[in-house]
Amino acid sequence: MAYEKLLLRNIHRDDSHTIDVYLANGGYQALRRVLKEVSPDQMLEEVKTSGLRGRGGAGFPAGMKWSFLPKTRDKPRYLCVNADESEPGTFKDRLLIEKDPHLVLEGIILSAYAIDCHTAFFYIRGEFHKGYRIFQRAIDEAYAKGLLGKNILGSRYSLDVLTYRGAGAYICGEETALLESLEGKRGLPRLKPPFPAIVGLYGCPTIINNVETLANVPYIAERGGAWFAGIGRPKNTGPKLFCLSGHVKRPGVYEAPLGTPFMELLNEHAGGMLHPDRPLKAAVPGGSSMKVLPASRCDVLLDFDSLAAAGTSLGSAGGMVMDSSTCMVGALLNLAEFYAHESCGQCTPCREGTGWFVKILRRLETGEGRPEDPDLLLDVARRVEGNTICPFGEAVAWPVSSYVKEFRSEFDDHVTRKACPFGAASVR
Amino acid sequence: MPEPNVPVPAQVPPQPELPPCGPDEVALLIDGRPVVAKKGATVLQAAETIGVVVPHYCYHPGLSVAGNCRMCLVEIEKMPKLQIGCATQVAQGMSVKTTTARVKDTREGIMEFLLINHPLDCPICDQAGECRLQQYSATYGKGESRFVEEKIHHDKRIPIGERVTFDGERCIKCTRCVRFCDEVTRTSELTLVERGGHAIIDTFPGMALNNAYSGNTVDICPVGALTWKPFRFAARVWFLKNVPSICSACARGCSVDLAAYQNRVHRITPRHNPEVNGWWMCDFGRQTCAPVHDMPRLTRPIVRPAPGGPGGTTGGGAAPSMGEAVDQAAAALRAAASRHGAGTLAALVSARLTLEEMHLAKKTLAAAGIARIVVPPHEEGQDDELLIRKDRTPNGRGAALLGLGAPDAAAAAALAADVASGKVRGLIVLGEDPVGDGLVRAEGLRGLEALVVVDWWTSATVQAAHVALPSCGYGESEGVYVNCTGRAQRTRAAVRPVDLAEPAWSILREIGRRFGLAGAYASAPAIFAEIAATVPAFAGMTYRTIGEAGAQVGGA
Repeated sequence: MAYEKLLLRNIHRDDSHTIDVYLANGGYQALRRVLKEVSPDQMLEEVKTSGLRGRGGAGFPAGMKWSFLPKTRDKPRYLCVNADESEPGTFKDRLLIEKDPHLVLEGIILSAYAIDCHTAFFYIRGEFHKGYRIFQRAIDEAYAKGLLGKNILGSRYSLDVLTYRGAGAYICGEETALLESLEGKRGLPRLKPPFPAIVGLYGCPTIINNVETLANVPYIAERGGAWFAGIGRPKNTGPKLFCLSGHVKRPGVYEAPLGTPFMELLNEHAGGMLHPDRPLKAAVPGGSSMKVLPASRCDVLLDFDSLAAAGTSLGSAGGMVMDSSTCMVGALLNLAEFYAHESCGQCTPCREGTGWFVKILRRLETGEGRPEDPDLLLDVARRVEGNTICPFGEAVAWPVSSYVKEFRSEFDDHVTRKACPFGAASVR
Repeated sequence: MPEPNVPVPAQVPPQPELPPCGPDEVALLIDGRPVVAKKGATVLQAAETIGVVVPHYCYHPGLSVAGNCRMCLVEIEKMPKLQIGCATQVAQGMSVKTTTARVKDTREGIMEFLLINHPLDCPICDQAGECRLQQYSATYGKGESRFVEEKIHHDKRIPIGERVTFDGERCIKCTRCVRFCDEVTRTSELTLVERGGHAIIDTFPGMALNNAYSGNTVDICPVGALTWKPFRFAARVWFLKNVPSICSACARGCSVDLAAYQNRVHRITPRHNPEVNGWWMCDFGRQTCAPVHDMPRLTRPIVRPAPGGPGGTTGGGAAPSMGEAVDQAAAALRAAASRHGAGTLAALVSARLTLEEMHLAKKTLAAAGIARIVVPPHEEGQDDELLIRKDRTPNGRGAALLGLGAPDAAAAAALAADVASGKVRGLIVLGEDPVGDGLVRAEGLRGLEALVVVDWWTSATVQAAHVALPSCGYGESEGVYVNCTGRAQRTRAAVRPVDLAEPAWSILREIGRRFGLAGAYASAPAIFAEIAATVPAFAGMTYRTIGEAGAQVGGA
């Protein structure tokens, strides 16, 4: 049975970003029905039934997250949409925002309704100029059609959605740094606990969801949680957007059910390796922050639990493919430079460790490495991992430790040859 | 960005029994030792109560929790990751371990991280000797670094404020200073700028660290990044002797440490006292150690000819001894009284005197028949929301309690007028400078036949005096002040008095004796004993019961 595209159903239509096209293709019908016939609690139950797990990287069940909100109503509740997509190699949310903003917006309204929230914030990555313009226009259109604001579609439910643009920091995609940034402060992750569901934006209970997560909700509302749960694999349900970049013929965003084999994504969706004479060397199926897999272990299913079992993670599904021409030291140096640049500088292990990685890797890549350097990388990574305020520590420690462990001989080669065997093309 | 995988918790070994605890408390184990802690307390605080040190940089009990240094990571049973002791709240039955190999290994790692970009310029750093990096390196570090690269460079010697200098390379970004300015002074001059290893403390555009409490950022800086300009390169801290005392710059009387070396107080820092000043003090009070060394001191008695009195001894003659000068003072006052009547004598007594000095002033003035006693006020600005009081005297409350009278501007003005008009012919001035303060003009003193001044510096009034007697400056003698909330507190000597200077009570005792004052009055504590025995507000108090934290006076 051919897979029916859901998340990317509309993106190839002309003017897919306009409300007219969205409405003409059945858009906002789910919202219309829910506001008439479904209570917020029932909507929340439906999302729980669907098994929808967060698409931002952590894979936490969305319905369960929503149910952590305190039952008391002495403070407003906020929904923050995390559109700060900044992971290298991840560009799925951008596609949704630019090509189908009303799908995202309908998901926002339905989710806000389910958690009885009346103000939602759309925190969008600062560099997404186009996405911001398109999404703001979508919001304006929705207000004009009575889909936002007071008494949506004549119901008793009211919701305002506000956009807020980031200022260019990767860390603001971390949910508590996002809250700080949204409050007008420097984007530094907060200590947890308290968790945002209890103490979030402006001290109020707050739910933060990824764009793609919320884009699933209209379908759950339209066709039911049980239907959704039938897609994919047990506990890893629903459609998923997979990004693939690197040495592939057709890099891009592909929709497939969770649990799709990575090799199928690579060979069938992305057209296989870029150069026929350069075989697959390694891949990071989940994204730059995740552990790398050597080609021999790339025969994995793309879902949360399968990738965890394989020793890596689905992350934000920003897959990267490297062929045999890739210098793993250089590739890791490139990544490490990104993380050193983006470390917020708040806590010691990450602030100091990220810069140290770069210095060691640059030395290795330029042929000045010392025999102890690969072990030093592993030891520094070990001291960063688990000891930081936010998961950024893991986001850099995991690639470092996995690249060194999986491709140890290549690191040692750089030392013994006193040069990069690949020509050190990646050193800036 | 990933969420870390969560491993399955290890099996829990059998636990020692937990002690019983109250409804607002929880019982837990720290390193196997039972502890009862208040609900809501942190692991770090609970550990402190049983003497277990959880090392930390960013945590400060007077500030919010930042959790950024990661030095206080400890192991907590059933939690897969190490947890920061400064933010993790105690829970019933929790088992905390602070000395496991994993914790020690982690601390070594944090120490190494903190030092890779630190300049290690301890030999020229003012913080050396009281630096947490040094202390923790010795205790928790590995003693060596594997970092061989070029360190990240930042600007050094930045005048971040008028009184504070910032060294960007020494900074460990604990943000104590930022939080102080956000939470205590609420002036928010500071922030963290830049990212990663380049992150650095800076002021917001157009701002400087010039709030009235900026010196506290230096105290709480755990490293040598923020330094107090007057103390830069002044003394190595291990030579300093810290004497617990109180500040005399206003009626608050903040608890302080006077840090002395080579008979000079080089630094005044706040001493924690929850009843008075918490952890803080103002910059003004901090700077009061300088005048006693830098102002022109009155080091020896001065005797000048008075109209109708005996001849002076300054200029040509030999310098008078303290005893000779006291004789001359008594004689001048007595002569003025005999010519114009005792009613023409008056005293101007400072609320900066200690209780003991005020007590002796009272005794001596009574013996000399001087009934008109005026305590002038010294007010400046307004009380602020933190510590600074507009009453700039440390003992106005004490003057009132001893019956000298509360500081009174009208009485001071009336006295000045009577001095100028010649109604007052003999004046004894104790620790005041009516000329310098503008209360009277120097010419207005010409009608006086006896002007006796006791002070620690050569004020304008001293320069007009017939007899000037040198008393101790701040930090040279001990005594008791009563602050604005009625708290009796001890001020102490950190350095020896300059030259012939004596405590004012000792000078007053000698003058009193010339008028028949009896009593030994051998020391400040002995005088205080008499105060405690005679003034109800101080009943039962001794230097010992006042201690280092002070004691509320009766009825206050």
